[in-house]
Amino acid sequence: MKGLIEFIAKSLVDDPTEVRVTEHARRGHVRLELHVAEEDMGRVIGRNGRVANAMRALLRVVAAREGVKASLDIL
Amino acid sequence: MGELRTSLEVIAPTVEEAIAKGAAELHLPQEALEIEVLDEGSKGLFGLGTRQARVRLTVRTPAAEGAAPQVEQAPAAAGLSEEDSDALRVARETVSELLQRMGYETRVTAQWGEPSQPGGVRPLLVDVRGNDLSTLIGRRGETLAALQYITRLIVGKELRRPAAVVIDVEGYRERRERQLRRLARRMAEQAIESGRTMTLEPMPANERRIIHIELRDNPQVTTESVGEGDRRKVTIIPRSE
Repeated sequence: MKGLIEFIAKSLVDDPTEVRVTEHARRGHVRLELHVAEEDMGRVIGRNGRVANAMRALLRVVAAREGVKASLDIL
Repeated sequence: MGELRTSLEVIAPTVEEAIAKGAAELHLPQEALEIEVLDEGSKGLFGLGTRQARVRLTVRTPAAEGAAPQVEQAPAAAGLSEEDSDALRVARETVSELLQRMGYETRVTAQWGEPSQPGGVRPLLVDVRGNDLSTLIGRRGETLAALQYITRLIVGKELRRPAAVVIDVEGYRERRERQLRRLARRMAEQAIESGRTMTLEPMPANERRIIHIELRDNPQVTTESVGEGDRRKVTIIPRSE
């Protein structure tokens, strides 16, 4: 899941070197945190959060297949 | 245009399996194919970070034989400019990469489609095949829509221009279109019989469009979309005499 978000974020931002994804798993819940450069925040969030929500939609499918819940926070 | 399916990307646990799988898919012997190993895959350490092998198979055409050395990039499908075949490659690779990272084993092909209206934008059609991909489509195609949206952004950024990528999974779009056309006709009949406006479920823009087009030539009804954003839906209104 981390790899998926990392790939998407790095492909969308202007500064891929600043992309960091951390993953915390606890009791069937995987929490992902995505960090990008300040100037790239808009690119990974999108208008009305559309990009972030699309990433969450893909994440949900992967999580369901692995039998866990997943969430994505952009910090 | 149309039938330019000369190149295929295959993902499998090993390079050998990928080649065999692709050859079987194309119904061609391996000798008839140009093989490009995109990713040899990796077993990873202690089972962590395993990556599947990825190869691109291109059907050898008489013109390409002999002349071009094998190391050269897969020959562009006949008549495509470098820019156009580049766009196909970027779209195909982006979708492959996303799906691989999502844990799906798929075969991805890409080709240029025809504009839906004269002078319109040519869509980049990406076709995804594999086993058990229903979760990739999602309820009402939601997951597929998310995948397509993200792919458009990535490909658009890479090509430095907007990309009208349309992704289909296991023929879902075609099936859905047939279903929607049937629904449109049935609801139109009900509208005419009852003399009342029929309201359909909320749908994305491309699906609403199918309904509008299906009933465009029906003299007994008019159609109209109402509502905002995710709640936007088509209404079918009987024409009064």
